[in-house]
Amino acid sequence: MAMRTKTLSWSNVRHAPVVRRSAQQLQGVLLYAILIAGALFFLFPLVWMVGTSLKTIDEVGRSQLHLLPEVAQWVNYEKVLEDSNFWRSYINSIFIVTLVLFGTITSVSFVAFSFSRLEWKGRGMVFALMMSTLMLPYQATLVPQYVIFHKLEWIRTFNPITLPGFFAGGASLIFLLRQFMLGIPKELDEAAMIDGANPFQIYWHIIMPLSRPAVATITVFLFVGQWNNLMMPLIYLQKPALYTMPIYVAQKLNLQEVPLPWQDVMAASVLFVIPVLVVFMLTQRYFIEGITTTGSKG
Amino acid sequence: MEEQARLFNLQYAMYTIVFIAVSSLALGYLARIMARLRGFSQAEQRKVFWGFMFAGPWIVGFLIFVLGPALASLYYSFTNYQIGDKIEWAGLDNYRTLLLNEGRQGRNFNKAMLNSFYYAIIGVPLQIGAALGMAMLLNNEMRGIRIFRMIFYMPVILAGGPAILLAWRYMLASNGGFVNESLQKFADTFVVFDYIYRGFIYLMEAFNGFYIGITTGDPLGPISFTIAGAAGLLLIGLLALGEWTEGKRTMAWRSAQIIGIVIVYRLMAKGLMADPVDPAWIYFLGIVVLASTMSMAWQRQPRIKLVQGAGLVILLAAVVGVLSHTDYDATSVEARRYFIPAALVAVPMLGSWVGRWNTQKYRVLGGCLAVLSLILFVRLASGQLDGHHLNVVTHYLTFGSTLEHTDDLNYLDKVYPANQMSSLWFFGLTVAVMLGMALLNETYPRARRWLSYGALAFFALFTIGSYLDGRTYFQAFEKIAEAAGKPVYHFAMFRQATSEFPVAGRVPLWMNSELWSKPSLILITMWSSGTGMLIFLAALKNVPRSMYEAAEVDGANTLQRFFKITLPLISPAMFYNLVIGLIAALQTFENVYILQTPLTVDSLQSAAFLLYSRTFSELHIGEGAAMSWILVVIIVTLTILQFRFSRSWVHYEA
Repeated sequence: MAMRTKTLSWSNVRHAPVVRRSAQQLQGVLLYAILIAGALFFLFPLVWMVGTSLKTIDEVGRSQLHLLPEVAQWVNYEKVLEDSNFWRSYINSIFIVTLVLFGTITSVSFVAFSFSRLEWKGRGMVFALMMSTLMLPYQATLVPQYVIFHKLEWIRTFNPITLPGFFAGGASLIFLLRQFMLGIPKELDEAAMIDGANPFQIYWHIIMPLSRPAVATITVFLFVGQWNNLMMPLIYLQKPALYTMPIYVAQKLNLQEVPLPWQDVMAASVLFVIPVLVVFMLTQRYFIEGITTTGSKG
Repeated sequence: MEEQARLFNLQYAMYTIVFIAVSSLALGYLARIMARLRGFSQAEQRKVFWGFMFAGPWIVGFLIFVLGPALASLYYSFTNYQIGDKIEWAGLDNYRTLLLNEGRQGRNFNKAMLNSFYYAIIGVPLQIGAALGMAMLLNNEMRGIRIFRMIFYMPVILAGGPAILLAWRYMLASNGGFVNESLQKFADTFVVFDYIYRGFIYLMEAFNGFYIGITTGDPLGPISFTIAGAAGLLLIGLLALGEWTEGKRTMAWRSAQIIGIVIVYRLMAKGLMADPVDPAWIYFLGIVVLASTMSMAWQRQPRIKLVQGAGLVILLAAVVGVLSHTDYDATSVEARRYFIPAALVAVPMLGSWVGRWNTQKYRVLGGCLAVLSLILFVRLASGQLDGHHLNVVTHYLTFGSTLEHTDDLNYLDKVYPANQMSSLWFFGLTVAVMLGMALLNETYPRARRWLSYGALAFFALFTIGSYLDGRTYFQAFEKIAEAAGKPVYHFAMFRQATSEFPVAGRVPLWMNSELWSKPSLILITMWSSGTGMLIFLAALKNVPRSMYEAAEVDGANTLQRFFKITLPLISPAMFYNLVIGLIAALQTFENVYILQTPLTVDSLQSAAFLLYSRTFSELHIGEGAAMSWILVVIIVTLTILQFRFSRSWVHYEA
């Protein structure tokens, strides 16, 4: 065995530079080919969505192998943009997301601060309790929550969708932020404490400014989750005037219509997806690089 | 209209903020007072005050939106609450309907649950595989890799919303849809791909047809026993042949645990919930308690007293509960059926509970276990326990001669469903054999041998018998189903095997067929498995490069490096993805909501979707709550099990 490896390594040493380099080059090219194929697979539905949204109804009926229309039909977009329901849903969605983001980020950062920067008896227990709620599926509490809101006569209002977030909704978000805050040096708080700062001041002047990347990350998660959320609005809004964008898009597809006006559905879908994509593009380096460099320990 | 709603909302947002601030402050003071009463120092008290006040929003929210509702829903699940109606106590009715699959609702729930399991058992591994593959690809430092990471991750942010799901649904159109068109182009160009493609269609349709047969509750008949028997045969064969090792003992123990959990679930559903209560489940509970006590004693686990105590309490409570059904007449025949097994468990348990543990007690416990199993087996064999006097075990051991086969509908509809309890005894026997093999070796190695050979013979006879019987059964069933014009999906497996290979040009029907709807959904979840990818990527970053180099020097090839270095080192990430993925899969909802059509709703709907439609479309709050709690129990059980089993394969050292 020892002999064999010896001879092998000897022959390798002789040709190593040439063989290695060309093998590596080949590997690199192959890797790129696979990556590009993968990227096409992942991007494809999006490209295809845009293509379809610009087709005429006749083109929609033809083979889908023709990705792009002969002439871009911007009319499809005009039709959606002229729809008053569209604007109403859009504004409703923006309103809800803004309020939820404000309430949730504020309260989540408070709680994460408490779980990471403050030391108090019972912290471990409360934290464990919070983590265990991750195991509880939200369907279990959905019904009684509905009953509560029903009793409060909050059905057909925005309250059931926006207000629960104010109570630091989302254990996973708290966990994420807490993990980040744990990494901030302890000396900063102690120095401030000696200077006579109270926890509020430490929270506001020291911890929050330093936690900006993590706050950005949970903002994106929250934004995407809320923007796409279909179930809660469906359950609680129950009135076309209050509908949000996901409901609008889902209802755009009326199965009774023949042929199905896919180009209109896709135009609405593209307009729906744009904000999410923009936010994602602007912030992705925070969390993709953030997660991949800090790791997921804990 | 909507402006008003927004103003209303803003107004309440203000109130909410004030409420949270006040209640957090109050919580802080309350905590401080508690701390003072418990004699904490001044500094400690202050810390407790600030800590609780900052955590206040979550604690208050937890009480209002999680704990309160959870308890309320638990209560609702025992009522027949419908919005607008008076609440009436219904006891176990909802659970009985759902778990025993009674009526249309129960059958629907069964179907939905099986669909959810499909997403979990078939979807999650595929998703994790895709995520790992993507992460391995992206774990290279090369130009533009950041852009690729972004693109690979992007589907995640889109997949949560309805827009992209609609796009997928259209792309998967069976006629002229992009996916089918391009695959067909490929197939027309490359002959080899054409055959692979058709083979894929063939296998998918066969498998999904079979699965739909199971979910729609077409009687599976003896085939279920044949499969179980063959599995038992294989397992015992593996254990019985060759030398007995520590690994085999663990394997026997593990399989007994797994089958035991299945049994406990089915007992909960069938035995305990049957009206009147079936006493047989005491036997199994007793066997489980005795066996786990013995095993814990053997492994010298410190919590043994706790298990013994809990076992006693459960057993006593069970006996009292069951006796209340016989009007506390301790001399009746009914009561005796409960007393004997209860005494056989409770007495040795009590004896072993008092004082120190020793070998003598171990033997007494083992003896009781053996007697209990023996009684169970005798009753099982004589068909006494389930009261149907039609026992699959004796039936198959005699190659089906205890029943006369007819083409009569009664034979198909009544005999096999009635014997569902019998299948439980069969599984119980498997557990007994496994446990026996695991435990007997300690004291009587020879007995273990004989037990294995006996079990092997038993399972062989059983498998052959049920297979022979199954053939007759299927022939009769097919005749009846054909006459009724019903599709025989459960039979698709055998049909496909004898029918022709798909002709050239056949396409998958995706969202237009119940054979393809679930695979379509899984395809979409695989497309958006970027979250798992990020977790794997983070884990892969932490694998030291020097390890690979060292392995390369030692002559390990790529595959070996992957299995010996990469996989063990990223096992925590794998575990995390598995736990999260399974929870998510069992809660599948949004995809189903958007992708379902009247044609595919049955084959797509998950338990969460059914729970939603039952509660919010049909307003059956009680039943919806019961569904959600069944789901909770399943999810929590699976999560705990995963944590338990993780000890053997997850490595936490860096």
